[in-house]
Amino acid sequence: MKAGNHNLEPNCDLVGGRVVDPSLKLDAIRTVVIRRGRIAALLDRAPAESDAACERVDCAGMVLCPGFIDPHVHLREPGDSHKETIASGLAAAAAGGFTAVAAMPNTRPALDTPERVTAFLRDARAAGGVRCYAIGAVTQGRNGCQLAPLLGMASAGAVAFSDDGATTTSLRALYNAARYAAAIPQAFLSHCHDPSFDDAVMHEGEVSDRLGLPGAPALAEAAVAAREVLVARATRKRWHICHVSTAMTVDVLRWARSIGVDVSAEVTPHHLLCTDEALEGFAAGMRVNPPLRPATDRDALKRAVAEGTITIFASDHAPHARHEKEGPVSCACPGFSGLETAVGATFAALPDVPLTAMVANFSAHPARLLGVPGGSLAPGAPADITGLFLNRPWVVDPSAFRSRGKVTPFAGWTFTVQPALTVVGGHVLMYAGAPHSRGVANTVRGMP
Amino acid sequence: MTTACHLLDLDGAQRPFVETLVSRARQFKAGVPNQGLRLRGRIVVGMFFEPSTRTATSYAVAAQRLGAVWLDFRSEESSLRKGESLEDTMRTLRAIGADAVVVRHREAGFPHLLARHFPGSVHNAGDGAHAHPTQGLADALTLVEEFGDLTGRRVLIVGDIAHSRVARSSAKAAHLLGADVVLCGPPLLLPSQPAWGFAACTSDLEAALPGADAVIMLRLQIERGTHGELPPADDVARAYGLTLQRSQAMAPHAILMHPGPVNRGLELAPELVAAERSRIAHQVENGVYVRMAALERTLGHADREHAA
Repeated sequence: MKAGNHNLEPNCDLVGGRVVDPSLKLDAIRTVVIRRGRIAALLDRAPAESDAACERVDCAGMVLCPGFIDPHVHLREPGDSHKETIASGLAAAAAGGFTAVAAMPNTRPALDTPERVTAFLRDARAAGGVRCYAIGAVTQGRNGCQLAPLLGMASAGAVAFSDDGATTTSLRALYNAARYAAAIPQAFLSHCHDPSFDDAVMHEGEVSDRLGLPGAPALAEAAVAAREVLVARATRKRWHICHVSTAMTVDVLRWARSIGVDVSAEVTPHHLLCTDEALEGFAAGMRVNPPLRPATDRDALKRAVAEGTITIFASDHAPHARHEKEGPVSCACPGFSGLETAVGATFAALPDVPLTAMVANFSAHPARLLGVPGGSLAPGAPADITGLFLNRPWVVDPSAFRSRGKVTPFAGWTFTVQPALTVVGGHVLMYAGAPHSRGVANTVRGMP
Repeated sequence: MTTACHLLDLDGAQRPFVETLVSRARQFKAGVPNQGLRLRGRIVVGMFFEPSTRTATSYAVAAQRLGAVWLDFRSEESSLRKGESLEDTMRTLRAIGADAVVVRHREAGFPHLLARHFPGSVHNAGDGAHAHPTQGLADALTLVEEFGDLTGRRVLIVGDIAHSRVARSSAKAAHLLGADVVLCGPPLLLPSQPAWGFAACTSDLEAALPGADAVIMLRLQIERGTHGELPPADDVARAYGLTLQRSQAMAPHAILMHPGPVNRGLELAPELVAAERSRIAHQVENGVYVRMAALERTLGHADREHAA
């Protein structure tokens, strides 16, 4: 891919990869033929020779999937570009194997008007590369009580609504928001945390008891999740519970399903792999919302994915500057840089979940939640493709992150599954495989 | 965490550590020749971000008895909440020659943070609801003076356990010396079980009192509640305060302790403060000796590490 033809709709052939697409019930070696930025065909034989105007990308050893979509990231612009910029966040997404992300609206100012949504999407397009969607705030300035202009934001391109970072405090505001937005397809994405526990810096349990730090129990999340289920039931609005972290919340999801309420849920890699013991020794950097929980909760989350109660993976990529993750625990900003470890970590947490389910949780399910293209490599679909090496151990080195946020619970961990390829609209954004292959060098395009 | 040159908490402490400090404190109490030369010329800085008269005074006396100079450091707390200025402050303190810092702060873990930025010795004089190691050691010394070997002795700690740094440290010190520790209070004010990995819990004070060899009454830490969601102190006191009548249920030999300051008539009947079984004054006195032992030990280690 030459610089300058970036805006054209590219043609290329991805050759030799094992295509795993649950939507097509396909798991076979295929050549992915991309024409004008879309999937043209999946051929069971490699073309003898790609034509000259067409790049040939060697994907031998890779699994090629519908592009991975992260429905929950924080890109920090506007307002906190020292933590992350849209460009650095999208570069991190490409490096992490994601072809699209949805950005939460807790920027400064919040994404709570059509103008701000428009400006954000314009900036994201200018940054280029990975597709970037905007999630609009439910309430003005995310204040939890006054409705934001939901219909205008939807027209401006917001794909969902959320006050993420906090719960929409007022039940009445949330109820009215859901009714106001009843005629549009955008779902509500709820961060569940009862605000009376706002002084909590970690999970309330054996570890917080020993450390003497204020904690929030599972109830502080599950009780709000139950409230959201009831709002969804009362308004028949499509609902989604963000970053589920407790067994009790999983019970709420099962109950929702049992009464026929359409509520989906996501889980993060850190809640699948880490426990509150990470805070031992007052490790302020390990503060995150919702907090890391005990092993019993972590294991319940893994079961919830295995049984299909949780069907979406999200990184909750929440980058901060290093100094914001230090100091007293109560002063440390919550959250981790997650885009570049999410794929490796999530696969590491769930070795027994079938590959097709893993792929669907990373692609088709978030696409459906957000109402955006993706989740399928059927001919005609945009050529958004994630490639993986399923067995290529690698060590997490935060200093190599494209993200400005370098704090992760996974520093020094070894993961087996490695993102190998990120293709968006036929553009190869990341190619990290097969260093000896011919014709690779000119397919690699580093992000600015 | 207690590395050799700091005294931050007793969380990872082992029995010999507590035994050594308690026995050295007993030597100081009996009189050590030339004790005023032990830390002569050393500088110990008190940083008390929460009001404290008892602990600050006790540490100051301990430092001065060993010949060290005690300084009060005053700082706007707000300027120290940020990590960077905190580092600067600690560097400054070291540059002007401070050998040890004694810190009290409302945030659990604050002394641990200082310890990462200060090459000298850091003593925790109380961090939030987490730890108050020298109070724990003073209580351990008081118990050892009374009973000698604590094996099989039962220590009952009563009141607002969940928000008490004293409860955590005193329970751990007594546990390390072999005592059975029982925590008593309403379930809301007890830690989740097994409490800190070693203590038993009960909410039945009447049933727990007769079997105790020592009863430590705690003050209600209502000020630690942030949203007014804790029960009124007088209501807890009615149910869990030690009245004269309840104290009749204690074994004849059992002693009564309280880390102070006592809310007379709330958690403790006024008549009990100076009763025959009360060891409250001993606890205060012993506080000085354990702080002497702790300062001597940690500064001695700091010396060796610097020499190395």
